[in-house]
Amino acid sequence: MLKENFKDFFETLKKLGEVHAPVRRGRLFSFTKVDSPGEVALNYNRTMLPPKKYFVKPFEEVLKIKVGKGYELIVEEPKSLVLLGLHACDINALRVLDSVYLDEPQDDYYQVRRAAAIVIGVSCEPDEYCFCKSMGTDYAWTGFDLFLHELGTSYLVRVGSSRGESIIESMSNIIGEPTKEDFIKLRDLELKRSRMFKKILNTSLLPDIVDSLHESEVWVVFSDKCVSCGSCNLVCPTCRCYDVTEKVELNLQEGVRVRRWDSCFIRSHALVAGGLNFRPTRLDRFRHRYNCKSSIDPRTNLPFCVGCGRCSAFCPAGIDHVNVLNAIWGLA
Amino acid sequence: MSSAYLPKLAKIVEVTEMTAIEKLFKLQFVNEEDAKSFTFKPGQFVEVNVPGVGESPISICKSPTRPGPLELLIRRIGRVTNAIHKLKPGDVVGIRGPFGNGFPMEKMKGYDVLLIAGGLGIAPLMSVLQYVIDRREDYGEVTLLYGVRSYQEALFRDMAIDLIKHPEKACLRTFLSYERDDPVFVSLMRDHPENVRKGVVTVLFECADPYIKPDKVCAVVCGPPIMYRFVLKELAKRNIPPNNIYITLERRMKCGIGKCGHCIVGGATAIRYICKDGPVFTYSDVLSVRGLV
Repeated sequence: MLKENFKDFFETLKKLGEVHAPVRRGRLFSFTKVDSPGEVALNYNRTMLPPKKYFVKPFEEVLKIKVGKGYELIVEEPKSLVLLGLHACDINALRVLDSVYLDEPQDDYYQVRRAAAIVIGVSCEPDEYCFCKSMGTDYAWTGFDLFLHELGTSYLVRVGSSRGESIIESMSNIIGEPTKEDFIKLRDLELKRSRMFKKILNTSLLPDIVDSLHESEVWVVFSDKCVSCGSCNLVCPTCRCYDVTEKVELNLQEGVRVRRWDSCFIRSHALVAGGLNFRPTRLDRFRHRYNCKSSIDPRTNLPFCVGCGRCSAFCPAGIDHVNVLNAIWGLA
Repeated sequence: MSSAYLPKLAKIVEVTEMTAIEKLFKLQFVNEEDAKSFTFKPGQFVEVNVPGVGESPISICKSPTRPGPLELLIRRIGRVTNAIHKLKPGDVVGIRGPFGNGFPMEKMKGYDVLLIAGGLGIAPLMSVLQYVIDRREDYGEVTLLYGVRSYQEALFRDMAIDLIKHPEKACLRTFLSYERDDPVFVSLMRDHPENVRKGVVTVLFECADPYIKPDKVCAVVCGPPIMYRFVLKELAKRNIPPNNIYITLERRMKCGIGKCGHCIVGGATAIRYICKDGPVFTYSDVLSVRGLV
C-alpha cells in the first residue's frame, strides 16, 4: 500500500469503528481517538499509557448493588474500536493480558471490549529504552488483524486474522499485491532494525538466574532508589493488578462496586486483615515485580515483560529495568 | 448473565458465637436455583460481600457430604469481617464462588488422614474432617492434631473435648495442645495424658508418632502462616512424601479467579495464584515455588 493511500485506508477503518491511534502530545505520545489521518503519528517511539487502558479501565464501575435485593453487572454495550498503530511489543502484551483475562472463568468486562477491537500493528525502530528483541517480543506473529510494515514510500500489509483478511479484501483499490522488491526491502529493513537495539538483556535462563540470586545485594541497591510510586505498574502493558472497592449512596439502598488499577509497590498490596503483610518491605515488593516480570506465561510461553521500555523511560527515580537485571547478571 | 463476578444473595439463618472474636454463620441462598447450582469441594472458599463495605475470602467450614445451609466460620479481624459480625439472622449478604482447587479427596482415598490444625485453621479443615467421617470406609485411620491458645479461644472446643473423651464415636484419634492453663484443659490433660499436651501444635507429634505411617498417610495442614514452617519440618522429618502433604494458604484476594493479582506468589521460575492454583498446595509446591510459606 502506497503511503499516499493511507488517507483512504484510514477512512475505511473509520467505517469499522472508532479509530484510536498514537497522537503527539508535547514530548510524549498517547493513544487517543483520531478523526483525520493527519493526527496519527505512526512513527512514534512509545505512548506513556499502553493499550491495556482500552480493555482494563484505569477506574470503572463494575457492579450495581441494590442493598439486600441483588446485584447487577455493569457491562457496557460493545463499541467497535480500531486500534491503529500498535507496536509488536504491545500486541504481544495484549496476548499476555488475553491469557489472563480470557482464561476461564473469563473476565466479562475485558472480554466484551477485546472482542470488539480491531488491532492494526505498525513496524517501529528501537530507541534507547527498547529491549523487545531480547525478550523475543519484537515480532508479532499473532494477536493482531493487520500489521503495517513501513518500507520507505509504502507499507507492506501483513494479515494476522481472517477478520484482517476481510478488511483488506474491501480495499483492493488501495492495497496492491506486494512485489519481490517489497520483500527484499522488508528483509533489509528488519535486519537493519534488529541491529539497532542498544539495550541488550540476556534472557536465556533469566527466570532461574533471578530466582537463584534472590538474596543478591543488587536488589537492595536498586530498591533503595525506588520511591514506590507505582509508575512502572501503570505504564506497564502487562501489569494487570486491580483493586476493588465499594461505595453506597446516602440512602443506603444502592451502591456500586468499582475497580481500578493497583500497584504491587503499594504497601497494602499483600496486606491481609489482622495486619499481616506478605510483602512487608520495599525490597520484598521490588523483587516481587522483577520476579513477576521475569517469569514466563505458561499459557502463551511469552515472557510477562515484553521489553517496551516504558517502566525505564517513565521511572522518576531513573531505575532502568534492564540495568537492574544486568546488574543481577553481574554486568553493571 | 452468569458470571464469576456476580454475587448471589444469601440469607443468614443462624449465628453461633464460638469465641469472643469468632462466629459461625449459616447461610441459605435466597434463590432456589442458586442453592441448587452451588456445589463445592472441601477446602474451597467463597467471597462474602457486605454491601457497601466489601468482600472477604472465607473458607467453607463444612463438608459437601452434609446437606443444609452453607457454613462459614468468621473471625472479626478486618473491615469486612467486623461488618459481618454485626449481622443477624435474616440479614442478607452476597456470595461469590466457590473458588480455589480444594483438597484432592479422591486422591487421598485409601490413605490414612492426618489433620493438623492451628487455631482458626480448623475452619477449612472441618470440611475435610466431616468428609472423611462421612465417607469413613474410603479412608484409613484418621488422626487430628489440634493446637489452640486457650480454652476461651478454642474453636469447636466441646467437639474436641468430646472426641478426646469418646474417640470411638467418630472413629478418629484426637490430640489437643493448648498454650495457656485453665481448669478444663488441665483436667482433660490429667485424664488423657496421651492425648493432651501443653505447648504449640508440634508438641503433639510425640503423642501421635506411633500412629503415623509415612508411606500410608496424607497430611492436611492449616494454621497461621508461622505454623507451616515448623509443622512441615516435622512432617518432612518423618519422611512423608512431599506430594502427600497438603497445606491451604491465605493471601489478600479481590477476585478469587486469578485476575486481580494480589495473591500472586513465587519467584521468577514459577508464579502462582493462591486463589486459583491454590489455596491448597502440596509440600512439593512449597519446595519449588518461592515464598509459598
